[in-house]
Amino acid sequence: MEITREDIVHLADLSDFALCDTEIDSLGSDLKGIIGYISQLEELDTAVIEPTYQVFEMENVWRSDEAIPQDANREQLLALAKEEKDNQVKVPKVL
Amino acid sequence: MTKYIPTIGIECHVQLSTKTKLFSEVDNDARDKEPNSCVSPVDYALPGMLPRLNGEAIKYAILAGKAMNCKINAYSRFDRKHYFYPDSPKGYQITQFYHPIIGEGYVELPSGTKIRIEHAHLEGDAAKLTHFESYSLVDFNRVDTPLIEIVSMPDIHSAEDAHDYCRELWRLMCYAGVTNGDLYNGNMRFDVNTSVAPEGAEKLGTRTEVKNLNSFKSVERAVTYEIDRQSKLLDKGEEVIQETRGWSDATGKTTGQRSKEEAKDYRYMPEPDLPPINLAEDYIEEESAKLPLMPMNYREKFGKVLNTDILEILLDYPVLMQKLNEINAEHVVAVANLFASVLLAEEKSAEYLNGLPSAKNLNVLIEMNKNKELSSTATKEVFLRLFDPQMKSRDTKAIAKELGLIQENDLGTLEAIVDTVLAKPETQKAQDDYRAGEEKVIGFLVGQVMKESHGKANPSSVQEILRKKLA
Repeated sequence: MEITREDIVHLADLSDFALCDTEIDSLGSDLKGIIGYISQLEELDTAVIEPTYQVFEMENVWRSDEAIPQDANREQLLALAKEEKDNQVKVPKVL
Repeated sequence: MTKYIPTIGIECHVQLSTKTKLFSEVDNDARDKEPNSCVSPVDYALPGMLPRLNGEAIKYAILAGKAMNCKINAYSRFDRKHYFYPDSPKGYQITQFYHPIIGEGYVELPSGTKIRIEHAHLEGDAAKLTHFESYSLVDFNRVDTPLIEIVSMPDIHSAEDAHDYCRELWRLMCYAGVTNGDLYNGNMRFDVNTSVAPEGAEKLGTRTEVKNLNSFKSVERAVTYEIDRQSKLLDKGEEVIQETRGWSDATGKTTGQRSKEEAKDYRYMPEPDLPPINLAEDYIEEESAKLPLMPMNYREKFGKVLNTDILEILLDYPVLMQKLNEINAEHVVAVANLFASVLLAEEKSAEYLNGLPSAKNLNVLIEMNKNKELSSTATKEVFLRLFDPQMKSRDTKAIAKELGLIQENDLGTLEAIVDTVLAKPETQKAQDDYRAGEEKVIGFLVGQVMKESHGKANPSSVQEILRKKLA
């Protein structure tokens, strides 16, 4: 499968990554290699195989609606952010 | 001038009132709580964190689906919808793109118009952003609050029907008991797709989407504005651009937002951390059976006896309808009138709704009014006293008696009071005037008797006695 520079720029855009020209080129060839490797699977005949959504054959796994105390508190979680203000995570202006 | 037919489809997000979030065991009720105080490492999307599905949300989804006459899909599962924005720490939203839990159904408006539901699905809400001049703040309390997104078919053709559809959806969700239904706090939010096409055209026009409306009135105004704006563009030979537009209540206008991201690329993929849901038929039936009476049931039951306007006002309050349902059939109209004209007119009516009197007390109140033991004014007064927490444990008769509001109907007693009044010198002139044919002074005399009886005399009996004595 062909990976164009436009594909890389589009994907980077969706994830808000800033890439320089050399990175676009190297990521392009890396991705091409990865997809090419995985494409070998296309040689298999899967016509009679159901699509797999889940590798475990589990269903109906859910919990009861009860709050339980959490291991991490607000201060610990906010400390992970680059910047905080008024107990909230501060981010560059969006929209 | 070309006549244009508007076509409207609405997506509605309903926040479910489960105790905990959809994927973490954290308090889901963040009202009046500090920012970022209802969060877990799962909500923060720390590496290695696994979502754990809240089983209660499935039950709520079944009730919500049944409230909209929808098919419940036994098999449903979750997908990841990828986008990059600070309101999503995971970088994706967990939703049900391919296999939603709620299938096709319909919502019937009070007018009888049916709006078909395409499907509805479970998903997690996003964080709340507050924008400032040069930065934004993120509060993760709302992350993964369970949502049901309800997608309608494009069956709506007027701003009024758009309003009525949203209002009816709100009622259905409140009656089903799946949401707090607080619109002011964003418990229900509406995205409205509007297009117009010349009458008779086979193809629909280009649509615009107005997102995040949180009142029925805003929906109605935004749709009215869009229909007008799009029609004028077409009249001028211009084109409508497919885009997302923002609505401002203050200006009453929609404005175009960035169209750059119109080509949506969410790269959906199955959510590997959550096994599929596969519900047994009898489980769905068992949960569906818990759906309480819906507005339509009450319309069927009370539509013939109650005035439509009063019924539609009361239908906004599920507790009032539940109470009305317990009232003796012959007293329903009287109680409904007290609810509509006295209770809802009270300043503290919202508080009152939390503590309605017993059906027995209300039945007795109406009986006392019908037996003339209570005048209509006294009935209203006792009615409001029935909400008083101090009075609540006591019965209507005891309260009326204590307040001295029971009407005097005993003819002998009333005659004695009338005699006293007629013997007073200050009533002599009125008596002469009445005898001379001045009919209206009877009102003055009745007033004097009422005063003498401290308001307890039955005025119509008093008038009868007076007329007899002055004849």
